[in-house]
Parts: sequence; C-alpha cells; structure tokens
Amino acid sequence: MASSAGEGSGSGLVDTDDYESLISTTDAELLKQAWRNEKAAPEILRFEASLVQRSREQIQLMEETIEEYSKNGVDALTVSLYQMDLDRTMFLLRSYLRTRLQKIEKYAFHIQKTSELWNLLSKPEQTFAIRCTDDMGQLFEQSVLSKLPDRYKSHLKQSVISEEDDMVPEAHLDSFVICRCKRFLGAFQLDETGVEKPVDLEADDLYALRYKSIKPLVESGQVDLV
Amino acid sequence: MYGKKASELVKEFASSEPGQLSAFNNDLFSQVLEECNGHLLHLQSLLRKMQEDGPDNQTSRNADHFGALMHHLSIVRNKRCLMAYVYNRAEVIQHLGWTIERVLPEEIEEKLSNPEKDYFKNHSATLQSYMSELDLDLAVDMVPPKDPYIKVRVLEEIGNVVLSDQFANLARHAILFLRRTDAEHYISQGLMEELSS
Repeated sequence: MASSAGEGSGSGLVDTDDYESLISTTDAELLKQAWRNEKAAPEILRFEASLVQRSREQIQLMEETIEEYSKNGVDALTVSLYQMDLDRTMFLLRSYLRTRLQKIEKYAFHIQKTSELWNLLSKPEQTFAIRCTDDMGQLFEQSVLSKLPDRYKSHLKQSVISEEDDMVPEAHLDSFVICRCKRFLGAFQLDETGVEKPVDLEADDLYALRYKSIKPLVESGQVDLV
Repeated sequence: MYGKKASELVKEFASSEPGQLSAFNNDLFSQVLEECNGHLLHLQSLLRKMQEDGPDNQTSRNADHFGALMHHLSIVRNKRCLMAYVYNRAEVIQHLGWTIERVLPEEIEEKLSNPEKDYFKNHSATLQSYMSELDLDLAVDMVPPKDPYIKVRVLEEIGNVVLSDQFANLARHAILFLRRTDAEHYISQGLMEELSS
C-alpha cells in the first residue's frame, strides 16, 4: 500500500463501512448534502465557503481534463461520461447558490437585521442582500410609503407606536422537515416545554420533525435533511 | 365600509394565477391611499378634540378615544394590505428576474407600475452583479441534467453563432442537438424549444 504510515496503521480494518464513509466524505457527496439541506431547510444555513471553493477548483480541473481528452482524441464515450459528471456537479453548485439567493430575496430584511443570520452569508451574498433590501425599500417607498401619513412610513413597523418590527417576513421555523440521522443520538427532547416525550433518534432512520427542534443537529451535521 | 377596498385589492392578487401578474390596479390602489388620508383627518380632528376637552370630560372621552383608535387601526390595516399587494407582486417580479434576463416582454411590462419597472431593472442588475462577481451564470441549469445534449427546434432565426463546442447555424425550424447549457439561454428567451424524445 502506498499510503502514509499514519493511515497504514488502520489499513487492516478497511471494510465496506470505511468505504462508505470514504464515499460520503468526497466533495461531490458533501456538496450534494449541503444542497439538500439548503433546499429543505426553511431558513438560510451557513455558507459552505471552503466546500464551494474546492468544488469550483475541481470543476475547473474537470473542464481542463475534458478539453485535453477531446483534443487528444480519447474515446467519445469516455469524454461524454466526464462531461455528464461535470454537468451534474455544475448543476448542484448552481442550484445550491441559487437556493440561497432565493432565500435571501425572500427574507432579506429579516436576515439583514439579525446578526446571527447575517454572519452565515458569504461576502457576495451580503452585497446581494444589501442591494435586495435597497431595491425593495425603494419600491415600497415609491408605491406606498411616500403616500402614507408621517407616522406610518416605516417599512419595518406598521406605525410608530409598534414597539417591535412587525412587518418583516421571516422564515417559518415551525415547519416540518424530513430528516435522517447519521448515527444513533439517543433520546432527544423535541419540545423545550417538556410537554412531549423525548424521541429516540436511531441511525439511518427517517423522521418528520419540526425544523426548530432539530436545528442545532442540522447545524452540527449530525442530522441530514432529505 | 372601512377597509373594504384594501381587502378587494389583496383578493384580486390572491385570485390571480400563481406566478402570473395582472395589471397593476392603479385605480383601487389610489382609492385605498385616499381612504388612508381620510382616516388621518378624522384621527387628527378627534385627537384635537380630546385635547381641547381635557381629561375631565368623561362622557365624550371614551367615544372619542375609541373613534380615534378605529381610524388608526384602519390606516394600519390598509397599509398592511397595500404592502402585501406590492410585496407579493414584487416576489413574482423577482422570479421573473431569474427566468428572463434584463429585457421584459412588452405584455408583462405594460402590467407593471412605474416603480415596479424600476424594481425589475434594479433587481436583475443586482442578480447580474452577484453572478459576475462569482463569474458563474446561475440562470442556466434550472433542471437537473439527464443528458449533456438535448434536442431542440429553433423557433426564430438566430443565425450563425459560436457555441461552447461547435459553430452552428441556428436557422429557423432547424432541429439540432446542442449542449444543454448552450440551449437554455435561447429556450428561456423563447427562441428555441426543447423536443422531448
């Protein structure tokens, strides 16, 4: 085996399990999972900066490979298989970024004023969010707010006597999501109030739960959304 | 009845096809705005009256107080309706920004109010600038790819173009195999259609 000494010590135990965990940690697989989570979660998740960066590098590499192959007259079928793989990765990446932008479009005001959410965005996304709120604010201003009485001109509050911002659309964290546990997590309290009984979360089982209750597990990567 | 017009406005949007825009209802919209100003006048005169009467006049005090509250709530409700109308239309316009680039077809454009036209321009510029910052076109690849090549029919004369893998003469009615990413642009502009095999 050509692997380094550190890895070599465990090489006797290589079995299907290890193979599966190896497969599930390739970037393609990680990107797929990030994309799924992002698609299924009602609110915006952390931007996978390094994963996106790596994926883009791999895409570039793949593009170069394909170009080289087609120049060197490698079998057309091989090239088209590579091309298909490339297309799929491109789709995942684009769709991932697109899903995030669409969430930002929708909840721009809320994301911008909530610093925990704001910090989950990448730099270009932050720029995008700022411009989104500016554009939307301008539309509101021109269509409605400028024509309303003074005390009702805010786009965040219904009137000056509202204590909180009560006109900002937020993600519904109460909505249900389908999720799969990666490993056994034991009894998990779904409800902060303690009214409901804890649920045993088994490895590889599917659950339909409220997003709010498993949010920390999604963020720490112990649970995948599907 | 107070607030009726505003609810009509919202109902009008709610009953339209999802993803479709009907013409911006300027008439009703400005009527609701007028109603708001009417409420404000009532509200101000009631507040003034309450101040003049002072806190001692128990008999009329409650009546005036509730009257003022009524007008205030009516304004707030109208505002919510107006904002909902504008906001939901804006969401449709946002969606348009993803599917068509920059130029709005005439039949859609004439349904928008002037601020909405500006909004479309600004918003698609925002999208474009994000994409150019990443150097990645997000408007293609809207559906998961099955095959790198798709069969398309050219609907409008496009002429000779350089595609990512070939030179092609996109004459009207021609049927060709193109790279999906190349074809999607033309499809979203309505210049081509995909032929399902």
